[in-house]
Amino acid sequence: MRIFETAKTAFTALNSNKIRSALTMLGVIIGVSAVILLISIGRGVQNYITDQFEALGSNLLFVQPGKVNFGRDPGSSFSRNKLEEKHIDLIKVHAAEVLGQITPIVQIGETIRYKTKSYFSTVMGINEDASVFDYLIDEGSFFTKGDVRSKAKVAVLGPTVKEELFSNQNPIGQKIKIGNDTYTVIGTYKEKGRNFDEMAIVPYTSAISSFEIKNLSNIVIKVPEGYDMNKAMKSIERALQRDLKPDDFTVLSQKDILSSIQNILQILTLGLGAIAGISLLVGGIGIMNIMLVSVTERTREIGLRKAVGATPSDIGYQFLIESTMLSVGGGTIGIILGWLGSLAGRQFIGTEVPWWSIVLAFSFAAFVGIIFGTYPAVKASRKDPIEALRYE
Amino acid sequence: MQSKLILEAQHITKTYEIGKVKIEALKNISVQINRSDLISIVGKSGSGKSTLMHIIGLLDSPTSGKIFLNGKDVSCLDETSLAKIRNKEIGFVFQSFNLLQRATALENVLLPLKYSNVPGSEWKNKADEMLEIVGLSHRKYNKSNELSGGQKQRVAIARALVNDPSIILADEPTGNLDTRTGREIMDLFKKLHSKGTTVIIVTHDEDIAKQTKRQIFLKDGEIA
Repeated sequence: MRIFETAKTAFTALNSNKIRSALTMLGVIIGVSAVILLISIGRGVQNYITDQFEALGSNLLFVQPGKVNFGRDPGSSFSRNKLEEKHIDLIKVHAAEVLGQITPIVQIGETIRYKTKSYFSTVMGINEDASVFDYLIDEGSFFTKGDVRSKAKVAVLGPTVKEELFSNQNPIGQKIKIGNDTYTVIGTYKEKGRNFDEMAIVPYTSAISSFEIKNLSNIVIKVPEGYDMNKAMKSIERALQRDLKPDDFTVLSQKDILSSIQNILQILTLGLGAIAGISLLVGGIGIMNIMLVSVTERTREIGLRKAVGATPSDIGYQFLIESTMLSVGGGTIGIILGWLGSLAGRQFIGTEVPWWSIVLAFSFAAFVGIIFGTYPAVKASRKDPIEALRYE
Repeated sequence: MQSKLILEAQHITKTYEIGKVKIEALKNISVQINRSDLISIVGKSGSGKSTLMHIIGLLDSPTSGKIFLNGKDVSCLDETSLAKIRNKEIGFVFQSFNLLQRATALENVLLPLKYSNVPGSEWKNKADEMLEIVGLSHRKYNKSNELSGGQKQRVAIARALVNDPSIILADEPTGNLDTRTGREIMDLFKKLHSKGTTVIIVTHDEDIAKQTKRQIFLKDGEIA
């Protein structure tokens, strides 16, 4: 029998049981759309994090408290925070050659209030060197070395914080409350990316005194352009080891952090995709189940087809094409739904459907149809024509 | 010159094993059928007539003995080769019509062509021609469940004829029809026979058998 005729016959058979065919495809539709959607969400999160890191600036090294070892015990970085202001001086003195700019960082989540309005924000304490993170001032100015030294209660707001607290009003010179202390807004900075836009920046000395912080969250160093980052990391490690044990701190490059996070996200994305893939397998079992029912229901038809000249392979291919049509049809609908879902999520987390996820999901769906359709097809092809013709 | 003998069954036996019990459905049957014959295989239920029909229709293989079709031994062929011979050389008509319910009369008649080597461009003309021979051109687009019993059997006959087979094998073709419709179907077989088609009718009805040129009586798996 010609392949086109076999496909036509298979389509007619599926079309004559529309609801059953649709329900059978449902498993594959859910599986494929879930695979596409989860991979696209994973990609979106990866893109988001990459953007955030790129927004930080370039040539940055981070000194983190504790031994940060991605994949082992992430909690260890919180358990041994021994970073203090004196370590900044150690770096300045013993690793001067690698220093572009350096800033300590203290970070805390706190509610900021202005009159009746309030906004929960990240308050980041740094020194006067805003150029470490490439902040661009929009209105007013950044705080000075003097402000840092005198623990001045001044703040520079991110665009989101400004919008939430002041709407169209000029915030410069206004008094805001951060925790229990009153700060004066001296500036705002330009959009930099979602997380950064939701921050209020204050002198780190002020943050330490306002919130009774003992240790620094981390230290950020901007290495001069063209300087070997590995060499810079080694110099900083050597400088800090004058006062700290190797396990008390970790020097990480921007690239290290990004690639580690991306690796974790990639594994997570693939894991989620694989879980979604299991529902595809369940869909395949559904296809096999329905195809077996179909073979039994159409036993007389199989007998008749054999009597008028169908070979075992003609019968086998007919049923195999039916199961493949179910899975490929389900796969196609699943891809469209997954893609639409991803499109809907794009504005929230920048989802992205990689081409390979479509190829992967579609191939897996077709593979499932062929694998789970083979047993019913073989069963149909082996039916004895006489027994089949007598079947009631 | 084409041989007069179209089908020959030599010393056919068929034994079924049900558990430890052996049942001999056919015992050393030899039959010769000539081209353009109109023959009936007659017997009561359990006489072995359906088994014989299945064996000479190449739907089943004998336990021993040989089948020659157009002079060629077809007893030892594999399933695929037998299917191809059935498609080309044998047309089946069943008691219960065996039409595809969801298909039209025309689509039912087209079925054997789909498994043949006949070019697709000729299919519809051939099927139309067969439906005209059985007098059903006007119902060709009706689904089989919209047809009467007699019309269904005519569609089945058109389907059996569509590949120009050497033999038409009809198993109790009037069994599910009333007397008048049964007579019309028999008239159709006689008409086909008069045009040179070889027709073998398997029946338990002696009145039907009397309308054929030659009868083969079976009793307990043997020719009576």
